[in-house]
Amino acid sequence: MIARWILLALLPVVAGIALTQSRRLSAIIGMGLFSFILAAVYVLMHAPDVAITEATIGAALVTAIYVLAIRRTGRLIVVADEVPSLMAREGDHITGLEYEILEGFAREIGLDLSVRFVPLRRVRWLIAHHEADMGAGGIIHLADVEGSLCATPAHLTTAVYAFPTGKTPIEPPDNAPDYEGYFSELASHCQNGTLSTVATSLDLARVLALGRTGASLGELDRVDGAFGYAFLVAKRRTELQKDYVDYLHRLRASGRLDDMIGRYFS
Amino acid sequence: MNKRRIRTILAVGIIATFATLVALTFVSNYPVPADSQQYLARPLGETGASNRVAGIYLNYRLLDTLLEVLVFSVAVLGVRHYLQQSEGMSLPALSESEVVQTAVGFLSPLALLLCTFFAIFGHISPGGGFAAGVIAASGLLYMAIAHGMKAMEARLNPDRLALAEKATLLILLAFVLSPVAIGRVPLTDLLPKGTPGQLLSGGSILIYNILIAMKVFVGAWAVIAVFAQHRGEL
Repeated sequence: MIARWILLALLPVVAGIALTQSRRLSAIIGMGLFSFILAAVYVLMHAPDVAITEATIGAALVTAIYVLAIRRTGRLIVVADEVPSLMAREGDHITGLEYEILEGFAREIGLDLSVRFVPLRRVRWLIAHHEADMGAGGIIHLADVEGSLCATPAHLTTAVYAFPTGKTPIEPPDNAPDYEGYFSELASHCQNGTLSTVATSLDLARVLALGRTGASLGELDRVDGAFGYAFLVAKRRTELQKDYVDYLHRLRASGRLDDMIGRYFS
Repeated sequence: MNKRRIRTILAVGIIATFATLVALTFVSNYPVPADSQQYLARPLGETGASNRVAGIYLNYRLLDTLLEVLVFSVAVLGVRHYLQQSEGMSLPALSESEVVQTAVGFLSPLALLLCTFFAIFGHISPGGGFAAGVIAASGLLYMAIAHGMKAMEARLNPDRLALAEKATLLILLAFVLSPVAIGRVPLTDLLPKGTPGQLLSGGSILIYNILIAMKVFVGAWAVIAVFAQHRGEL
């Protein structure tokens, strides 16, 4: 009798917890838990048939359908080029300034962050075709972003360096970095001493990261003008843009953005 | 006060109201309705099923259950008909972590085993065809989450499954109407009742449970598959 009353009292508590979760997966798990407790109540009321039906439909089938439903919508899918210090793999997890910013943003809007590494040239295409929500990985914020894409306000100022004409070949380093995408392409060209044939200019994060692989980049000329790293978003995703701008503003105002930048670029 | 807070307060208020109502129902002591008492008073041997619930919904109230099964079939038919008019979507498959895949490898066979148990022993112990079918469909859904809907569709063709669902319904209807052939009233249970508590007891209840389990399993899966096909991987 006491067990039944305790379980009954738990039901509204679990329902409240499930409803107030901002993360969708947590809310779904809360709903599954509610069904399990309800099934236990039915068992204590000598209705095992009803309990089995409640457990199978409420806890197993409906939970599974919801999980399948939020696989895509419950995630903030970010496509990025791998750039050390901004967004890069380190063993099993991803680190970097941009990853940290996006992870906080995803948590705030109740989504799970899912990062896929792709070559830089694929980033724009994937966002324009709604295969991904945001693009990251050392994207320079330009005022004139083309077509269906737009850039968020810059989260970090940077510099751009151009190769001088008539450059001398670069010495290849001994250790080859294991990077995918555009950056790995740059790194391998850097090793072969043919970097200037594939890139006309490089941003500061890539210059620093390539320098850390041991390769000598030779002489580079700094390009005049103010540049900043930003994320790419589809133009029609106005709500996502607005949420992100608010988030970035608060991150900067609280001083946490400067802390993060200090940690990765000190 | 922002929108989110208003929503939270509203939700908690609704939950509190329902919780109070449910608690009141528990406190007040309702007598068992006369109809239910009548079923409880009947001897077990009348249906042969030691699970009284199975005895009621697959013997005394078989017509109600058949209409429920028909409603389910109409729902499957409707979903397939309307979704097939829309264009299919194809999005790249999402891969799940190894943890999920391993857990599913353990859970899905267990779900199928439970389905078999509930369907076969539905007239002796709690369970029955509906719960059994839903469990099996959940097992397949877990596999779809781990391996992707495309991989599942390659193994289980949704169109063929929908056909199998209709075929099961026809077999069920034919079985229910078969007493007419020997001049008896439809829905009459012609099979021996046996001793309550033994596997081969309860007349046709065992057959109904197995058929309903198959139908619910195939139907639920066909609906989920067609949703995934036409609305993207859900």
